[in-house]
Amino acid sequence: MRDMRRDRFYTRLFEIIPGFLTWTTIAGLFILAFIKPLWVAIFVITFDLYWVIRMTYLSMLMLFAYRRLARESKEDWLKKCESLSDGHGLRHNDIYHAVLFPSYREGLDILEPSIEALEGANYPKDTMIVIMSVEERAGPEAWANAVKVKKAHERHFWQFIITRHPDGLPGEMKVKGANATWGAKVLKEFLDAKKIDYERVIISCFDADTCADREYFGCLTYHYLTNPDRTRSSYQPIPVYNNNIWHARTVARILELGSSFMQMIETMRWEKFVTFSSHSMSFKTLFAVGYWPVDMISDDSAIYWKCFLHFNGRYTVVPMYVTVSMDVATERKILPTVVKQYKQKRRWAWGVENFPYVAVGFMHNNRIPLFTKIRRSLNILESHYTWAVWAIIVTFIAPLPLIFGGGLFRQTAIGYNLPSVSAVLFNMSLFTAFICMFISLKLLPPRPDDVKPQKRLVMYTQWLLAPFVVALLGSTPAIDAQTRLMLGKYMHFYVTEKKRHRTPNS
Amino acid sequence: MRRRDRVKRAIAFYFCVSLFCAVLPILLSYSLGYQIDFHTLRIYKTGILYVESRPAGAAITLSGRMLKDVTPAQIEELKPGIYKVEVRRDGFYPWEKEVVVRPNMVTRADRIVLFPIAQEMKIISERSISDFAISGSGYIYYMKKSGLFRTNMDGTNMKRFSAHAVWPSGLVGKKFSPDGDKFLYFSRSAVGVVYLNPDKSFDQSAMAAKVEDVFTSADPIIDVFWYPGSGYIIVVTDKDIKVVELGVGTAPNTVPLYKFNATPQSVFYDEGNNSLYFVDTRIGADSKESNYLYRLDMKKKFFDAMIKMLSRQEPNAGYEKR
Repeated sequence: MRDMRRDRFYTRLFEIIPGFLTWTTIAGLFILAFIKPLWVAIFVITFDLYWVIRMTYLSMLMLFAYRRLARESKEDWLKKCESLSDGHGLRHNDIYHAVLFPSYREGLDILEPSIEALEGANYPKDTMIVIMSVEERAGPEAWANAVKVKKAHERHFWQFIITRHPDGLPGEMKVKGANATWGAKVLKEFLDAKKIDYERVIISCFDADTCADREYFGCLTYHYLTNPDRTRSSYQPIPVYNNNIWHARTVARILELGSSFMQMIETMRWEKFVTFSSHSMSFKTLFAVGYWPVDMISDDSAIYWKCFLHFNGRYTVVPMYVTVSMDVATERKILPTVVKQYKQKRRWAWGVENFPYVAVGFMHNNRIPLFTKIRRSLNILESHYTWAVWAIIVTFIAPLPLIFGGGLFRQTAIGYNLPSVSAVLFNMSLFTAFICMFISLKLLPPRPDDVKPQKRLVMYTQWLLAPFVVALLGSTPAIDAQTRLMLGKYMHFYVTEKKRHRTPNS
Repeated sequence: MRRRDRVKRAIAFYFCVSLFCAVLPILLSYSLGYQIDFHTLRIYKTGILYVESRPAGAAITLSGRMLKDVTPAQIEELKPGIYKVEVRRDGFYPWEKEVVVRPNMVTRADRIVLFPIAQEMKIISERSISDFAISGSGYIYYMKKSGLFRTNMDGTNMKRFSAHAVWPSGLVGKKFSPDGDKFLYFSRSAVGVVYLNPDKSFDQSAMAAKVEDVFTSADPIIDVFWYPGSGYIIVVTDKDIKVVELGVGTAPNTVPLYKFNATPQSVFYDEGNNSLYFVDTRIGADSKESNYLYRLDMKKKFFDAMIKMLSRQEPNAGYEKR
């Protein structure tokens, strides 16, 4: 009882820290701009330079990752699996692939392409088990869709299981992790009935709109077979948002492409790489750690931390340079698109809930080295802190010394130089926009017939809007999420509604 | 992660860290106004001089050294001290001044107006002008010995408005009435009014103006003001303040308002609140004579009473002290 109280205390403490740091920074800089504009001006110049160089560094990583993606996505991974020697303990035809789709109210226009992508995979489908776990609260229509999909496609796979996740099970929140866990438990029953060794099963948890690359399962199998710590690793593809990118609004495209780029960059920063969105792992590992968390919104990253704690820090994420394509969260009109994007990004930013979870978990685990605990905790804290403050500093704090500093400050050399120095640094950072433009065009799927050719021009020029999108949605969702966590106003899972809109020319 | 990727990432990382460490001190030094003297390898503070002129594009000479930049220009890395700045442009008078450049500060010479060398100056009237007045409606009125004339602002389209030829010598001022229909002129001893359109004729080009001498004074006139209704003028002499009622063709009525105790040193009429301010002496509570600022409120209420007084034709009514 005492331990629970202590845990609760520390959990609240760690929940408060990110929001407190963020608000202290923003408020502190705001106040200092009044009383010490010189200090803020020096800070702004230092931060601007840091940001330009950080962007340069991340752009380099993105190019490295892109080159690997370009090269490895062309590989025939199945052939590579077949050519593997027997020295890895398992062979590719020993492996079963379980593909789990936790779904809510997605229509057939979303579900069908995801299943068709599996059918098109360059991998034997007779080892594939598809599990579609439908939320009971989604109503009979959602269930009817699942039945239709099963009828239409089950003949292509070894097994096609559909199940209904009951609403309101004890200890569960209305989150995707609870649905995924339910589906995984149904799979376990099936595997037990068939007496299949869990280590031979790789489970991929996909969002309902996830269309896997045709080489995905070959690549996944290859990495699984060749990884000496195969059950102590998750396998992370690169998410792209190509399903409806030609029909999405510009603001949504920029943000989702930004997310893809960040994931590409993260593949190059293996020491802090964490699972995101659709990912795969050994079913043996999933069972050992007790499935996905059923009471956390950020189930994708939380499962990684659950494994990390369970295996005392000996758990990694293996990057796979193949893509899974998902939907851009968009609407027909701009304002609803901004709102939708805001809510989706806020949900992602709610991943800051991992910080108290991990920090308290570290307190209970004596087998993880102290240095690792500090480094990994600070990694989480730094990434969420930076997310929340950087756009605010660059766009809103930077001009404050000039606004509040008064005439005397403007007469100083730094007051005079601040706008020009900031402008030069800003312009230097624009070259990253060219890299983004280049890679985004390389990742772009073929133009659908219903889209006018001139839309390609928009794809080139859309990055000019990036500074405005960043000012609007760069930091605000993260501040919102951290503030809610700080105040103990916990979020509920917001299901990003997936619909394929045909927006003529955004 | 492959070894090759690790090496590439490490190179990129250390390159960026080195870049940051190398650039930050230079950038901050520059921003704060510091420079390195490469001869002595010492860091010294500098100042900035910003020069802007109207019109732009003027050459800048700094303590005898001609700069490549033209205005507007930002001259950086200046050692603190006094500099002689010259700004020159063909066709304009040069501007020069000594400015002080202070360490870590910006000195601004940004309100420089270069005046053109007056090549465009020309005579726009005929000769024998006694005086002139410029109306708000864009005309010049000439008081000549041959009459009252009017032209456009460039001196063209001259028309005669009146045959009035006698203008007081030594005119002190001319003031257009608020309604724009007339203007007054005054010397130290007389006030006249020009009625530009006394018949309110639509044909303003006709020779319709009437000129009247409305007031003469044995005491020197200090100033004359229009009362807002344009039917009265307020005359301030060094002895008193009078109100003069105007009327074309009739003898103007005059009412004394106030008699000064001493010659007034300063008089100001505020049209905004129809009040006359002036300084006069009086004996204070300490039985000593001293100067005080007076305000004579001339709002409509006051003036209605005045008009009644004028209608009773009592020009010698006693002075009213306020």
